[in-house]
This record gives sequence, C-alpha cells and structure tokens, in this order.
Amino acid sequence: MKLSCLQENLSRGLAIVGRAVSLRSVLPVLHNILLATDQSQLKLSATDLSTCITCWLGAKIKEEGATTVPARLLVDFVNSLPPEQIDLELVTRTQTLHLKCARTEANIKVIDAQEFPLIPTGIEDRKITLQPDALRQMIEQVTLAAATDESRPILTGALADFQEEKLTLAAADGFRLSVRSAPLSEPVPEPMKVIIPARALQEVGRVAAEEGEPVEMTIPSARNQVLFHLAGGALGGPIEVVSQLIEGNFPDYKQIIPTSYNTRTVVDSKEFLRAAKIALLFARDAANIVRLQMTPGEGEPGSLTLAATAAEVGDNVGQIDATIEGQAMEIAFNGRYLIDILNAIDSAQVALETSTPSSPGVFRPVGDEDFVHVIMPMHISR
Amino acid sequence: MVYKGRRLIHIDLDAFFASVEELLNPGIAGQPIIVGGGPGRRGVVASASYAARAYGVRSAMPTAQALRLCPQAILIPGDLEIYSEISDQVMALLKEYTPLIEKVSIDEALLDVTGCERLWGPAEEIARTIQRRVKEELGLPSSLGVAANKLLAKMASEEGKPGGLLVVPPGQEAAFLAPLPVERLWGVGPATAQRLHALGVEAIGELAHLPLDLLEKEFGALGGVLYQRAWGRDDSLLTPHREPKSIGHEHTFSRDLTTLREVQRHLLDLCERAGRRLRGHRMRGRTITVKLRHSDFTTLTRSATLPHPTDLDQVIYDQAVHILRREWRPGMRLRLVGVSISNLTPRLPSQLPLFDQREAKLSRLNRAVDEIRERYGDGALQRASLQGAKESL
Repeated sequence: MKLSCLQENLSRGLAIVGRAVSLRSVLPVLHNILLATDQSQLKLSATDLSTCITCWLGAKIKEEGATTVPARLLVDFVNSLPPEQIDLELVTRTQTLHLKCARTEANIKVIDAQEFPLIPTGIEDRKITLQPDALRQMIEQVTLAAATDESRPILTGALADFQEEKLTLAAADGFRLSVRSAPLSEPVPEPMKVIIPARALQEVGRVAAEEGEPVEMTIPSARNQVLFHLAGGALGGPIEVVSQLIEGNFPDYKQIIPTSYNTRTVVDSKEFLRAAKIALLFARDAANIVRLQMTPGEGEPGSLTLAATAAEVGDNVGQIDATIEGQAMEIAFNGRYLIDILNAIDSAQVALETSTPSSPGVFRPVGDEDFVHVIMPMHISR
Repeated sequence: MVYKGRRLIHIDLDAFFASVEELLNPGIAGQPIIVGGGPGRRGVVASASYAARAYGVRSAMPTAQALRLCPQAILIPGDLEIYSEISDQVMALLKEYTPLIEKVSIDEALLDVTGCERLWGPAEEIARTIQRRVKEELGLPSSLGVAANKLLAKMASEEGKPGGLLVVPPGQEAAFLAPLPVERLWGVGPATAQRLHALGVEAIGELAHLPLDLLEKEFGALGGVLYQRAWGRDDSLLTPHREPKSIGHEHTFSRDLTTLREVQRHLLDLCERAGRRLRGHRMRGRTITVKLRHSDFTTLTRSATLPHPTDLDQVIYDQAVHILRREWRPGMRLRLVGVSISNLTPRLPSQLPLFDQREAKLSRLNRAVDEIRERYGDGALQRASLQGAKESL
C-alpha cells in the first residue's frame, strides 16, 4: 500500500471513525483503525464489534493495499502534523507503516488487515431517506433518555418504528421517556420496528450535523444490522455507520404517556433551563431533587417556582412567569433530567403537563406536535 | 484533615451480654454467667461475666470446655435482639455528647470530642460523666480510654478493664505504651509477636527503639506501621458512618437441616432480615450470595448477579432459592445457611420508575411490613410459611 493524502482530510476522517475504536477490547486489532485503498480513495474503518464507522477520503493511490494501525498513536501523530501532504507506505516485510509529512517521518507497527473484522458496506435498494437536520434533532432529543448502564440492554437502544410515511423514535431509561416522530419522504413498503443502540445513533447524528447531506438508511434483510450512509462532502467520499440491532421487545411506552392532565404550565424554555441550572447547584448535594410549584394567576400571569434544598449546603428558590391552566400543584423532578430535556428543546416555549405529584410529568415543546418527553417525578414526603 | 490535639474516647461495655443478663435477672448478679450456645449443641461462649472469667472462661471458647472449667456457671442462650436494643440506648446516650461516633461493635464505640471542651469540659470529664451515666441510667459497667488517637484510646480502655477509666495525657503516648507487652499492640498477632520475641523484643518500648530499617527489612510494610504504633502514632480518622460493602445474615442450626423444604424456609427468613437491613441502609444490591456449610464443615458459597439492583425480599429470595436448588443434593446435611447481598449502590431517593409496576407494588409491601415491625416488634407480622420456623440463638 502506498498513497498520499492531505493531513486535514486524514485528521478529519480519523476523528470520525476513531469514535468507534474500543480501547477496552481484548482483541488488539480492535484498538486499530483499518486503512485500505478502495476505488482510488482511502477507506478508514473502526469498530467495537457492535458499531462500526467507515469513511472514504480523497487520496492519490500509488499502490493498492490495506493494513491496521493503532488508533491512539495514529490519531495523535496525524493531529500533530502541519496541514500538508502526508505520504503513507506499508512495508510488508516488517509490518510497519511509514509516514512522511513535511520534515517529519515515522514508522508505526501495524497488525495485518486480514485480522480485522469484515465490515459490511454499501446501500441496498430498500433504502429510507432521512433529512439530516430533522434526523440530528430527533436523535439528540430521543437518545438523551436512553439508559447508559448495561443492566437492561434493551433500554440502551432506541426503538425505531416505521409506519407508512412516518418514523417514530423512542427511548427510555426506566425513569424518563423521549418520543419523536418525523415524516418520511417516501412511505415504507411495510411497517417495521427495530431497536438501534443509542450510541450508534448518536454517532450518526454527529456526522449528519457536520455533513448536511441526506442520510440513507438500510436494514439489510436477514441481517440483524442497520446501515446509515451519508454522501459526505468535505472529505470527498461517503461516511457509513453500521450497527448491530438490539434484539428483544421494547417496553410498551405508549401506555406510559398520560392522555390527560390537571395542570398545564407554559413557560419560556430558556428561563426554565436557567432556573433549573441554578436549582441543580444546590440539588446536586441532595439527590438532585428540584421541587416545582405551579401557581395559577388570578387575572395576571401565574408563576412556576423551582426550589432546591441541600441540608449541608444551603437552598435556593427561583421564580419564572408561567401561563397556567388548571389547578395549583407541587411536584419534584430530578434536576439533571430537567436540564437534559430543556437543553434539547429548540422551541421558545415549553409546556409541562402534570396530574399528581406521583404521576408522570409530560414535556411538550409549544408548536411542535411531534415530540413528547415524559419524566417520572421524585416522591416527596412531608 | 488530621489536626493536632485530638481527644478521643473509647468506651467498651464490660462483659456486655452477661451484664445485660444480670440486669434482667438481678438474682444472678455476681455469679459466673456464660452467654452462649449449649454444650451439646456445639455452642461457643459469646460473653462471660467476670466471675466466670476468674475460672479461665473466655469468649469464643467452646461452651463444653467453659463448663468444664467452671461447672457451676449459669448458662444462658442469650437474646441478640435485646442486646442490640440496649446497645442502641447506649449509642443514643453517647450521641448527646458528639455526633462523631464510630460504633466499633455492639459493645464498643469511639467518640471524637475534640473541641467539645467549652461545651462539656475536658475529655476526661466527659468520659467520667459518660461512664457514670451508663452505669446509673442503663445499669451497665464500662471501661473507657481517653487519648489523642484511636489506637491509644482503645488500648487505654483495654488496660483499664473492668470498670476503669484511663487517660493518656498528651505527650505521654510513648511512655504509656512502653511497659506494655508487644502482644497488646494493634496489629501484633501471635506470629508477629513470636518474631519480635526472636529479636529480643518483649515490651512495646523496646519495639519503639528498634531501628526502623531493621523493622522494615523484617516485616515489610507492616514494619513501618508497627514502628509508628509503638510510638503511639495513629492518624486514622473516625468513620462515623460506614457504608457496608455487603449486607447479609447467616444462621447455624442446632441440628442439621436435611430437607430442601426446611432450608428454603430458613432462607426466606434470612432473606427477609437481609432485605430489611438493606432498606434500612437505603441501599440496593445486585449480587446475591448463598452460603451453605455442610455437617462436615465444608463450606460452599455461590453468587448470582441480578440485571439491576434490588432491595426487595421477594427478588432476593427468588434468586437465593434458585442458587440453592442448583446446589442442593438429596442427602445433604447443612449446619449453616447464610445469604448476603453485595455490589451495593445507594437507593435513588424515591425516584419513581416508569415501568416495573410489580416491583413498585412489592416495594410498597416491603415498606409497609418494615413499618409495622418497626412499631410493634419483629414478631408482629410473619409469613404464614415461617410460623414456628425460628430458632433461638
């Protein structure tokens, strides 16, 4: 293998695929990034066997070939180089990759490409096209509710439910739930439900945000995988994210979303976020408990009060204007969950629908019917 | 933070279980009393009154041997529940003086009274008041030690036993230790003591004057620790509240259990006790361990890890029974059964779950039962399947 490419491109490509490298793996080859020539481009791949990211970038290929290079060293080395041309040459006899850029040279020990897992690439006919901005927002708003601990693997994924002209994405970690739907440009031939690891989706969202190109998605028949394909612009070649699907039954989340409420509180999203952040400064020393008090106004605007008390630190009370429909009430939430959802809402106002202090609170961005977020309250005694 | 001029009090209740029995039954006061398991039931001495100790009876000695030394001793099976209740009363009294209390065991505690002088007077005076109040209000004799650190306070109360109050004045630490035999020093067991004797060291003062490098050569890291201790130096802080690493219960039966049914019944009781303590600590655990000791003393422990942490009796029991059934063989004879929960995490205070309605129900049930038992005693409510299953200590 012998080729030349630009330092900026290689650095960018390594940053994209590098996120899939699993440094904790017991397989040494998974600590590496695959470099391979592919149709007059340089292909980079990395995987933790669950998620795999591949990208192609423009390069001048002088000799075909492939190898795998330790990710950490390669990334750090390439990032330290000046923005000039890099020459790469694999010395097969010594299993060493020779790199040269301006007046810097290096030799890095490699592992044979044969040892790297086979990575599926390419899009099938039965593809679904998604708009990058809508997809990025959807992924961001939904995956924040996915579980990060592995104790219940199903909940580390998001349920993608394709029905005719609509995709609904849902995730829940046992205490909160996020559901967002988006229209599809073409209806799916048949309804389909899959559970995609949230981590893989977050990678897709990150790349989609940067590239701004439509995202194509395939669920290859008879394979328990999903493949996202982004045309990719800046790099000169496409980017693909392949992920194993999670098997099992996702909990029936629809029955959890309350259909009625006693109190509906509409507030400015940014003010709510600011008040929640201040409350958390105190709440973080008291199990993150933030108390919300909704007070309807009589002929004037009502108010939402956020309060937090930490026995050994101090306390805080903040009030914001609110339009309140229904009766006064008090409810407590984990302040971190409040901040997570308020950070992810783009609309100017947010509505919080509540019924009792021990039933779920429903958050809806005002003017956006497609998103709903549910948080279970914290029980407040006395 | 470690600061100079600390004042610590160590309190040890003298022959605690035996003293409580004397309180409950004043007629036997002053006689040799042994609290422990019966001799035919392979019991051991849990506590012996000083009158019994005069005959050579010691804690942890097989009861049969103790009775040979002191045949006239009054043997009492004992009641841990009463002892813990009285122990709680003692701890509550201590808490009136400082919140910085480390409960070392059921009959021992350390108090940090540094800075309490303006409130209660010097440490020695606090110790004297505590000793008097424990005797007058609770009827229990105790020994106390007052010193600048945990090591010395504990050793001082030991030297004052029984009924003593020994103060190690600041600056006198090494002098206090010097004449004591090295065996008394924390961390010096029989093996270490023997090696020290081989070096010609009998008293702690002699140990303190050995060159440090010789000690380190001889004992490794322990050498340095011994050297510091011999000079009465100990910077360790009180741990007022220790987060348990595991919570469990085990029980040795007076006769071997031979049927799966019996073992399951006892396992249920143990799981309920463990679950209740877990909830009391506001903890949840993921790993359930079952311990089975056969009549020939071979012991087997087997664990299983749950997908997510629990504090529910039923969930703990289901897992424990699963382990038991896997290990059970017909013809087994078990003398001890135990269950413990580890891999503990604090319970998210009252964060309500989205799913798991069954668990939410079980959780409410457990809490209701806990509350009833808290108010009306452990016997107030019992599973029908556990009727008559309990054995006395």
